[in-house]
Amino acid sequence: MGKIFKTKFTTATIVLIPACIGINYLGKLFASLLKLPLWLDCIGTCIGACLGGPVIGAVCGAANNLIYGLTTGDNITLVYAFTSLCIGLAVGILARMGFMSTFPKSFVCALGGGLAAVLVSTPLNIIFWGGTTGNVWGDAVFAATQAGGMSVGIGSLLDEIVVDVPDKIITIIIVYFILRGLPRKLTALYDVNAKTERLD
Amino acid sequence: MPMINIENLKYKYPDTDRLALDGISLSVAPGEFIGIVGPNGAGKSTLCQAMVGLVPQFYHGAYGGTVRVADCLADQVPVQNLCEKVGLIFQNPFNQLSGARDTVYGEVAYGLQNLGIEREEMKTRIEKVLRQLDIWQYRDRNPFDLSGGQMQRVAIASILVMEPEVVILDEPTSQLDPEGTEEVFKVVDDLARTGRTIIMVEQKLEKMAKYCDKLVLMQKGKVVAFDIPEKIFAREDLEEIGMEPPVFVKICKMCGLTNPDGTYPVTLEATVRLFEQQERQMKPDISFKGNRNPHISAEKSGKVFQMREVSFAYGKKVPVFENLNLLLDHRTTAIIGQNGAGKTTLVRLLKGLLKPISGSIYFREEDISQKTVAMLAGKVGYVFQNPDDQIFKYNVLDEVMFGPLNIGMNPETAKEKALKALELMGLSGKEKENPYDLDLHERKMVAIASVLAMDTEVIILDEPTIAQDDTGKKRIASMIKQLSDRGKLVIAILHDMDFVAENFERVIVMAHGTVLADGVPEEIFAQDEVLKKARLQKPSMTQLLERLGME
Amino acid sequence: MNSISLYINKGSWLNRLHPYTKLLYILTAILVPLIGGKLWLFPVMITASLCILASGRILGKAMPLVLFSFTLILVIFLIQGLFNHDNRTVMFSIGVITFYREGVLFAVRIGCNILNMLLSFGIFVLTTSPQELVDELEKSGFSPRFGYIINSVFQILPQMLAARDVIADAQRSRGMETEGNMLVRIKAFLPLISPVVMSSLINTRERAIALEVRGFGRKQKKTWLYDRTKCKWDPVVRGILVFLLVLVIVWRIW
Repeated sequence: MGKIFKTKFTTATIVLIPACIGINYLGKLFASLLKLPLWLDCIGTCIGACLGGPVIGAVCGAANNLIYGLTTGDNITLVYAFTSLCIGLAVGILARMGFMSTFPKSFVCALGGGLAAVLVSTPLNIIFWGGTTGNVWGDAVFAATQAGGMSVGIGSLLDEIVVDVPDKIITIIIVYFILRGLPRKLTALYDVNAKTERLD
Repeated sequence: MPMINIENLKYKYPDTDRLALDGISLSVAPGEFIGIVGPNGAGKSTLCQAMVGLVPQFYHGAYGGTVRVADCLADQVPVQNLCEKVGLIFQNPFNQLSGARDTVYGEVAYGLQNLGIEREEMKTRIEKVLRQLDIWQYRDRNPFDLSGGQMQRVAIASILVMEPEVVILDEPTSQLDPEGTEEVFKVVDDLARTGRTIIMVEQKLEKMAKYCDKLVLMQKGKVVAFDIPEKIFAREDLEEIGMEPPVFVKICKMCGLTNPDGTYPVTLEATVRLFEQQERQMKPDISFKGNRNPHISAEKSGKVFQMREVSFAYGKKVPVFENLNLLLDHRTTAIIGQNGAGKTTLVRLLKGLLKPISGSIYFREEDISQKTVAMLAGKVGYVFQNPDDQIFKYNVLDEVMFGPLNIGMNPETAKEKALKALELMGLSGKEKENPYDLDLHERKMVAIASVLAMDTEVIILDEPTIAQDDTGKKRIASMIKQLSDRGKLVIAILHDMDFVAENFERVIVMAHGTVLADGVPEEIFAQDEVLKKARLQKPSMTQLLERLGME
Repeated sequence: MNSISLYINKGSWLNRLHPYTKLLYILTAILVPLIGGKLWLFPVMITASLCILASGRILGKAMPLVLFSFTLILVIFLIQGLFNHDNRTVMFSIGVITFYREGVLFAVRIGCNILNMLLSFGIFVLTTSPQELVDELEKSGFSPRFGYIINSVFQILPQMLAARDVIADAQRSRGMETEGNMLVRIKAFLPLISPVVMSSLINTRERAIALEVRGFGRKQKKTWLYDRTKCKWDPVVRGILVFLLVLVIVWRIW
């Protein structure tokens, strides 16, 4: 287990974090520009988690929401800082366990990330907004469950699943392709086991 | 006691098979100005990074030998501490900003804060260095809003303010325009006089010859020679190594003039002196006719683009063009001028990426001012300056096939065209590589190939020669000639005047949204007034010929 | 250069207030109604926030933040008013749709909470420069590495946004469509985002080098260029806020 969480706070990993936070923002922006029915706002967090490990992923996620929440005034984001943290953590753990190594395996990682998002967001939704998420499709589902007399918990859970799971699957697919394209010269910088060999 | 002492340095990046540095030994005395030259991929940057400890501390990999800088072992003393003794400045001005400060003043202070320098001392040092580099007036500006040359000076200031004993400059001007290059070289000029130990890597050999006490010639990770510039540039094997000697050496060789010791002069002054000493009245047959066809053939005069009374402005700002008229025929055309002259705006109008506010642009007989970019994609190709703005595929071949497939070519034809384009750009054998594993100069070639493969009638190139070494420039020159021979129109925005003079049939000089002059290179580069107005330098060859009174 | 930060320097007393004081205000504004448990405490805190915003001449700037949350509040009203499980008492009906008192009341509570949070955060966000926040955090012992992360996001993001248009042009130049049906738009996502993601990741290598050669990560006490000018209001405001918090806790326990 210790190996999975092994983290190096080198300059390279520190610099990676703001880049990932920027990528989160861009993903969200492009998704809305192209009018896609997805958030795609944690591409960077997942990249950070896959490259730097679960701790870096968690830092990326939490810092992302804290920074945007405290400076752009979008403090609805702030509420979900813990969700982002857990997504980064979950994806990081699964990636270290080898679930990003092939395309089919990456779906496990996506489900893990989606599940983390659902489990953490649902209670937050219930506490802060009585169960809604602010996403049209999800809230339609929530309204239907409430009209059908299901409990707030189950309704809100379904609401989150409808929204988060497809979003995380698409996100991880994108991340998978981006990671595949990164040069070794870069990814080698994040190798936690890297040591300098002597040639003499 | 040498300032830098390197013994049998060997280094291999992680996950590679080849030694990037292979048995380097070198000794530099305090106060020396040493240049490192060699083709792309020779290991020049790796050697620079070894001197500041980044190799191996930052990259890891495999390391052997010793590097001692100002009495510190570069692989032992942490980079964060070694930076007090040795400073590094590299190519990309943008990436050298810390990204943590929003004013020039704060940016320069950043390193001092990390070193824990007292506030008063900090302020004195910052003011001194900002004034020295002539950027004091920008102290409150956001460093990211500055031009490339100014940004690079901020980067240099940020290093100098830490007062290192050794300053390493790794191609500080390779990604700058001529104005920025001049600004930076002015700084280097000053530095050279302060008696600091300086190591500089640079492709502009004329500059190296001017500053350096000695040059290190590198190839494939090895030091081929370490000697004074005259000796290095007199070597017969330079071309074999992949380098062209400075233009002055070439001329003297052609004229059969040598220094008493058998070497050639390497600076303008020395060349002129040599010519005068010898009092030879011979007028060598030197002119600009490099790869160009001597005469404009009849089929080249047909018009391709015609701009009539075109006006354009970005948003509600001051117009870039007002009633511009321009005719482009089949001659290879270079567009030159300083930043902000309107060069990029002009070619974007031709490409249809921008629409004129008034007036019309004809491509052949069609008015294109109302056509979409997608409709023109198959006819006009445009290679952007930064290849990283377009690359997204995982292998070079797919990247190059993206355009052809988009414009409706079938996969077989697309592949065939892509392979041909890659061959032309010298990338055969790299089809399966990840574009991002290639170096910047190769990625630029990929970007060019990805547009060539679309087989358009017009090809527009934005700064194709930036980051290329001599081999790369030759390849681009031959590409331009081949395309032109096949009846295509090649238009290029360029800052490299030597390259323009040797390879283009027509030159358009722009300044402030107007065409200042338009004609064949010989004419253009003879017009002192125009060049002065456009703030352009003459090609080195023209400079020399004029100094010698050989118009 | 456009920044993503909403910070505006109006030279007001709010700008001069220490960031921590403003953070304490957020905490107080959120906790007072929650601990107090009375609905009327929400309008009290909301009015207080509005007055503070007005005193800093930034009331107008805060409005977009509030409008932004209106759809969310509206949805909550609809769903709770119609379907809340405790719904018993009919409040009013529009055709077949019936709103209930219990649900609407629940929605009012949530809506007020959202507004209260938005406004109190608004005070902080609109009057505090990120750079100042980071400097103060670092001076209180917060790791400069994390300080760097915050500062750097603000510097790097505008650069990434600027690259966006160039990339769109570069891909369109190669015949790629960005408009059309869903499939076309989905296909355009990767070519548009990939170059900027890749180059910003690749740039991190050089940026890390640039930081290392400037002593980043040294185990040494940093120095600062400026001290912030002390604001005489800081102790006063902090005192009032702490008093309020204690008061509401005591009131609740009794």
